[in-house]
Amino acid sequence: MRPENYKPVQHSASHEYELYFGPNHPGIEGNYALKCVLSGDVVQSLRADGGYLHRGFEKIMEERLWIQNVALVPRICVPDPVPMEETYARAVEMLGGLEIPKRAQWIRALMLEASRVCAHLFYFGGHAATMGMYSNMFWGVTDRDLILDIFEEITGARIYHMYITPGGVRRDLPEGVLDRLSKVLDYVESRLPEFDNLFFDNAVVINRATGVGTLTTEQALSWGVTGPNLRACGLPFDVRRDDPYLIYDELDFDIPTETAGDAWARTLVRREELLQSIRILRQIIATLPKVGGPIRCALPNPLAWNVPAGSVYARTESSKGELGFFVVSKGGAKPWRVHVRGPSSMHAVHVLERLGPGSRLEDVAQIMFSLDACPPEVDR
Amino acid sequence: MNRELESLDAVFREMPDLKVEHTGPRRTRIQVEADALPTLLELLKGRAGYLHLSAISCVDWPDTEEFELVYHLWSYQVSNLISAHTRIPYDPGRYVSVYDLHAPAVYFERDIHEMFGVWFEGCPDQEPFILTEWQGPPPMRKSFDTVAYVNDTFEWREYQPEWANDPSGGKG
Repeated sequence: MRPENYKPVQHSASHEYELYFGPNHPGIEGNYALKCVLSGDVVQSLRADGGYLHRGFEKIMEERLWIQNVALVPRICVPDPVPMEETYARAVEMLGGLEIPKRAQWIRALMLEASRVCAHLFYFGGHAATMGMYSNMFWGVTDRDLILDIFEEITGARIYHMYITPGGVRRDLPEGVLDRLSKVLDYVESRLPEFDNLFFDNAVVINRATGVGTLTTEQALSWGVTGPNLRACGLPFDVRRDDPYLIYDELDFDIPTETAGDAWARTLVRREELLQSIRILRQIIATLPKVGGPIRCALPNPLAWNVPAGSVYARTESSKGELGFFVVSKGGAKPWRVHVRGPSSMHAVHVLERLGPGSRLEDVAQIMFSLDACPPEVDR
Repeated sequence: MNRELESLDAVFREMPDLKVEHTGPRRTRIQVEADALPTLLELLKGRAGYLHLSAISCVDWPDTEEFELVYHLWSYQVSNLISAHTRIPYDPGRYVSVYDLHAPAVYFERDIHEMFGVWFEGCPDQEPFILTEWQGPPPMRKSFDTVAYVNDTFEWREYQPEWANDPSGGKG
C-alpha cells in the first residue's frame, strides 16, 4: 500500500495498537509487510500484506515463447533461483515428452544442491540477524559468494543463471570446475565449527530461538507446511526422496528431522541439510566425470516450438519447501497458463498469520526468518 | 496392493463418473463434475490419506466461457499426486470453498478470486492481497490485455540515451 493511501485505524481508548512491520524494516524479509495488532509487546493478530514485489510473472509468461520464459523464472526467487529454472524446464519437458540426457540430469542436480547450500548459508545469516547477531550474516554471505563464483564459472551469471533450459542445460561444465567446487565444499564444511561456536552452540541464541513460533505436527500438516519447516516437526517428507526427479533416486542422502517444531528446530534441520547437500554434491562430483554424452536432447526450433497440448504439475524440493509449477499448453508457441506454487506462499501468509498471535514483537522477525519465507515467491 | 491403495480404489468405485487417468509415475489426473468435487476431496482425504493440498490452480478458457479449477493433492501414505480437474461457467463464476476440508485452500481461493474473479462460497478471506489498489478487472483473465492497458494508462516516452548508441559502453 502506498503511504498516501494508508489510513491509520482510529481505535477507541484501548490497550491495543496497530503496528506496521515492514515493508521497510530490517526485520522483514524482502519487501513485505505484516500488519500487527499489539497489546504491550504481545501480538494479538497479524495480517500479511504482500504485493510490493508483484511483477506479474504468471501473466507475462503467457505472452512469451516457451524458451523466453527461461529468462523470467529464476527471478521469482532471489535466494534460491535454480529450482525455479529446473521445475519450469521439467514441466515443459513433461508436456513435450522429452527425455533429457543423463549428463544433463546430473549437472542439474549439482546446480540444485549448490543452490541449496547457498540458500541455507543465507538463512543462517538471516536468522541470526533477527537476534542482532550480524557476524553470522557476514560469514554466511561471504561463504555463499564462493559458490556464486562457481555458478559464474559454469553459467556466466551469479544469481539468475538462465542455465537450465527445456531439454537439458545451456553448456557443459568448464574444465576443472568440479575440483574447484570440491575445494569450496571442503572450505564450507570446515567453516561449520566456526558457525557452531558463534551461533549453533551459543546459549543466547538457543534460548532466544527455543519455543519461538512452535508448530505442532498436526498444525504443520493441516496448514500446508512443507520442506525443512515440516521436517522440523518430525515428518521426514522430502520431494527428492518421496517423489523423485532427475537422478535423486540414485543418490544416497538422509532426511534430517527434529521434533520440537520451533524456530530452533527449523534452524537445526537446515544445518544438517547443508551437510547432506555437501554429501550429495560429493557424490555428484565423483560420478559426473563417468557420465558422458550430450547435455541437451534434440529440440525443435525453440523460436517456433509448439509444445503439445496438455497440463502437468512438476514439483521440486527447494531450500524452502515444496515448489510446484502447473503448466498448461494449448499446443501453441507460448504457455496458456503457468501457475507457480512457491513454498513461501503458505509459510509467509497462511502459517505466519496463525503463528504470529501470542508471540512477542521481538520474535516476529525471527519467526518469519525461521520459516525461510521468501516474499518474491508469494507475489510472483 | 496395500491398504491405502485399496482405499483409493474404493473411492473410485464409489464415484463411477470420475474419469481417472494415470499420467505418469506417482501422477493421477481426475476429471470430475463441479458438484462432485467436494465429495471427491472429502473421500480422498478421509479414506485414502490425501492430506496435503499442494495447490489450487485456475485456468481461463474463454472459448467455452469456463474456468478450470485444478486441485493438486498429495498423499504422504501412497506417495501419489492427484490433480482433480473441474470446470465452472463464467456466469455466475461462483464455486464452493474447500476451506473446511483443507485450510490452505483459503490462500489459493483468495488468490484466484483476486486474479480471476471467481467467488468461493464459504471462503473466510477473499480480501485483496497483492492488488490492494487495483480498480480494473481481474488481470489473469485472458480478456485482460496487458499491452492495451499499458497503452491506455501510460504515455510512451522516447528514451534513447547516448550510451545506448555507443558500442564501447561509454568507455571511449
